[in-house]
Amino acid sequence: MSNELEMKKSECRRFVEELESVAASGPEEAQPQTVLPQMSNEAREHAEVCAECSAAVEDLAETRRALVAMSAPVAEAGPWFVARVMAAIRAKENELEERSNGVWMGVRRLAPRLVALCTVLLVLGTTWAVELRREDVTRRATLSSAESVFESAPAPLNDDVLVGGQGELP
Amino acid sequence: MTDSPRSGEDRELVRRAQHGDKEAFESLVRRHQSRVFAVAGGILRNREDVEDIAQQVFLKAYFSLIRFDQRAAFSTWLYKITVNECWDLLRKRKVRPLVLEVDLSEEQARQYQAAEEVVDGRLDASERLAARERVEQLLECLEERDRSMLVLKEVQGFSVEEIAEVLELNANTVKVRLFRARQRIAESVRRRLKPRT
Repeated sequence: MSNELEMKKSECRRFVEELESVAASGPEEAQPQTVLPQMSNEAREHAEVCAECSAAVEDLAETRRALVAMSAPVAEAGPWFVARVMAAIRAKENELEERSNGVWMGVRRLAPRLVALCTVLLVLGTTWAVELRREDVTRRATLSSAESVFESAPAPLNDDVLVGGQGELP
Repeated sequence: MTDSPRSGEDRELVRRAQHGDKEAFESLVRRHQSRVFAVAGGILRNREDVEDIAQQVFLKAYFSLIRFDQRAAFSTWLYKITVNECWDLLRKRKVRPLVLEVDLSEEQARQYQAAEEVVDGRLDASERLAARERVEQLLECLEERDRSMLVLKEVQGFSVEEIAEVLELNANTVKVRLFRARQRIAESVRRRLKPRT
């Protein structure tokens, strides 16, 4: 039973695919009496026994008849259209150019302030670095003087002990 | 997608445009403008939106052209941008009026039937607009993607493979979805045209 259903399904699928390939555009070419003879024997036989697929041919004709009113264009490109598109392209290009120029102009306008800011930062940075260096030098000097005051006697070397011990041997 | 002489010329124009040749891009606009209008017109409803989106599409294409590697046809790439721009606009608005089928009066249903019978150039502008409005109402029962798919296929004459590429879907998925969309439209048409008792 399920095998039969599967077979019918695949036949219907093949029918739909063939219908799409056979049916040309236009309502007159979509009539069942013109479409069916163009289809394969297998498809025609299937249409005789499958109500859904034979209705699909009718639906094709019905849809095309219904859509005829759509074939009248909503709007057509006037002679001005190409010029309008090219003008829009130029306007957009100008806008993009102005935008990139705008960024550069902004940088140029702010240049004196930027220079002043950089100078201040440089001075502050240099002062801070010099101060840091000076502090470092002072700290090192303090440390080295403290080390000399509390310096203890150097620990005896092991060699000296060994040499002393050797002399006492018989 | 087939490499027609037209797409061969497109490739050359794209290559030149990528090197900054504005005239080459202008030629590309001239070659594809009507199809971009048609695709946008299949998705959007009013003239101003279609014009604005068409311009937006070419603007976007111009500034993204450098990244276009020509692996797909230029036209497919352009239609992909068009469909996405249209969906973006619809998403931004999100105020599509929901027209229920019962909202169609008997008079509207009669007009719909009459419009079907007179589909050649004999309809004047206002009648065409009204006929289109009725089709728009029919399409309301579909998801945005299915609606675009159906219009691209049945009105713009795109192939299943082209639609699959534009909408980034598998060709079989497109076929199945088209099948279901047609089913719904046909059902809805039959229901409307059924004589009321």
